[in-house]
Amino acid sequence: MSALPYRLVLSPRLAVPRWLTATTLIGGILFGVLCCAILLIAFGVPASDLGNEFVLYVFGNKAGLDQTFTRAISLVLVSMSVALCLRIRFWNIGVEGQLWMGAMGATAISFYHIGPWFLRMPLMILAAIIGGGLWCGIAAIAKLKLRADEVITTLLLNYVAYLLAQDLLYGAWRNPSDSFPVTPTFKPYEQLPNFPGWHLHYGVFIALIVTVFCWWLCRYSRFGLLSKAVAENRTASSALGIPVARITLMTACLAGAVSGLAGFSITAGEEHRLTQFVGNDYIFPSIAIAYLGRANPLGVFVAAVAVAGLYTAGDSLKAFYQLPNTMVVTMEAFLLLTVAAFDVFVRYRITLHKVQPKAVAAPSGERAA
Amino acid sequence: MSGFLGDWIGAIPVFAAPYLLATTGLIINERAGVLNLGAEGIMSMGAVASVVATLSGLGLPMAILIGCLAALGMTILFALLTVVLRLEQVLSGLVIFAFGVGLSGVIGDSYANQPIKALGPVFPSLFAGLPRWAQHLLDQDPLTYFAFILPFIVWWVLEKTDLGLRLRSVGENAPASDAAGINVMAMRFGAVLVGGIVLGLAGTHLTLVGSQVWVTGMVSGRGWIAVALVTFARWNTIRAIGAAVLFGAVQAVIPLVLSSGAHVPIYLIQMLPYLATIAVLAASGLGRRRFSAQPEDLARPFLREERR
Repeated sequence: MSALPYRLVLSPRLAVPRWLTATTLIGGILFGVLCCAILLIAFGVPASDLGNEFVLYVFGNKAGLDQTFTRAISLVLVSMSVALCLRIRFWNIGVEGQLWMGAMGATAISFYHIGPWFLRMPLMILAAIIGGGLWCGIAAIAKLKLRADEVITTLLLNYVAYLLAQDLLYGAWRNPSDSFPVTPTFKPYEQLPNFPGWHLHYGVFIALIVTVFCWWLCRYSRFGLLSKAVAENRTASSALGIPVARITLMTACLAGAVSGLAGFSITAGEEHRLTQFVGNDYIFPSIAIAYLGRANPLGVFVAAVAVAGLYTAGDSLKAFYQLPNTMVVTMEAFLLLTVAAFDVFVRYRITLHKVQPKAVAAPSGERAA
Repeated sequence: MSGFLGDWIGAIPVFAAPYLLATTGLIINERAGVLNLGAEGIMSMGAVASVVATLSGLGLPMAILIGCLAALGMTILFALLTVVLRLEQVLSGLVIFAFGVGLSGVIGDSYANQPIKALGPVFPSLFAGLPRWAQHLLDQDPLTYFAFILPFIVWWVLEKTDLGLRLRSVGENAPASDAAGINVMAMRFGAVLVGGIVLGLAGTHLTLVGSQVWVTGMVSGRGWIAVALVTFARWNTIRAIGAAVLFGAVQAVIPLVLSSGAHVPIYLIQMLPYLATIAVLAASGLGRRRFSAQPEDLARPFLREERR
């Protein structure tokens, strides 16, 4: 270090101007997009096609919009789940598992014909909420009672829920009429209706209601205020009489329930049954979206729609250029990486200091003289 | 001692070694105060790179080296984010997790599901006189032997040398170490890189010794389990041996049960390692009431200019 003539000094900023936050966010996104473009070109996608794929196909025609918005429903829900938890500094990396539990809850109501037909849909929603909420609640209880790190427990519960679903799909719930690992198709009154002429279904309303509710919760409710205090300092909040444990548990259960709703929306709206592909590839996107949306429900909504567009583009690129499946996740990682790295400009003032040449024993020699 | 039990005992080292390597690498990181949640991604990179090298016609030593280098590349990125840019460590770990898993899938796409020549046992004749289960247990490949030797070396360096003392002091109290003249950034950077290389070895072991093939997403949570094993082993590499053997045993029983022909729920059996990890985390939480071995400054970025 001392060999270099200059030293890089990071000094924390006390006040962050608004324009700086905005500029760095935009700069980070642009740089990330540039990295992704280079990656895609390296994999043989012609540069001239990129604009086409990303803008025209995704937002410029009906099929693209349809696919984007349908995908956005589940992305909004799982990302909202991560964002809610992030607001109290609880890392929910288990949205996939919660989604699976929600999907299994909803499917169980349909599979075992529970309740009369007009109550079937509300019961499915309730079961999805309970399934998802329970799955995240377990991790919260383990954290509160046993100090088990929620990062690891929520993540590992993903695998448990996935394997449970596989067990049911290959066992008790397998469609008796053929041998595929899918459940029988839901009855018409168990399916979320589509918009006429679109694949897009009424799950959109679930996503919108959840977004508005979370926005209200975070901004105007007493719960939101208290959770802000919990996020800042758990010990101080607890000393002030804020029920830290209860708020943590409630947030976790609520977040799990929101992920569970995503499971309901996919099974009842898109697949109309439980399949093996209900809950794949949501862990990282949800974290990336929650972070890009700054854990703000409205920001998360916008970011989720944008990332859904990325998936639509990814799907068409996959079909045309034989790109690997994990390309989209890699691109998301790039985006989050650059946005998070650019954040350093917001948090710190970076200056270059000239290193003073070391004074060589002269002063002490003078003193001795 | 033959039959099921013998096969089980014989299979444990190969299943335990990746856990042991990964846990050892993570302990090096965490003792310096860096929480590396990117383990899964770094292991994936190591695993895929060694397979790509083997399938491109390189020898096994080169394959191991390339696996380590790929993991090192990923780790340098992680070190830049956490140690230099002082990003929140959980977040940068998650980025590396996704980036490593995603990129390994992209790289390994055209190399997936092709069997490779495996790293075999080194002394086939040495244990010839022993019963079969003992042969299986003791006769291992060089990577597995190394996995069981490394924890002792790391323990000695951490506990008995000046370097280890400095490394631990950075993890326990970074500001005090800084005041004492230790270069916190350099120490953490070095620890992260060394840990990353060991994580790469864990990934290399998974493909070159364990599966002998690359399948997308094949690390399947082992990196995360290793993060939990660090807590279970209470940040001590010697205790990590016990933890890894326990989890190796859990993992080794799965293929045996599945191939035994007994009528068992396949998918429920596969939950065992994940459930065991959660149980183990909860159990160490109970024990931690009295005394915690967790480095005091774990996952806390250090910047001299920042008030604590």
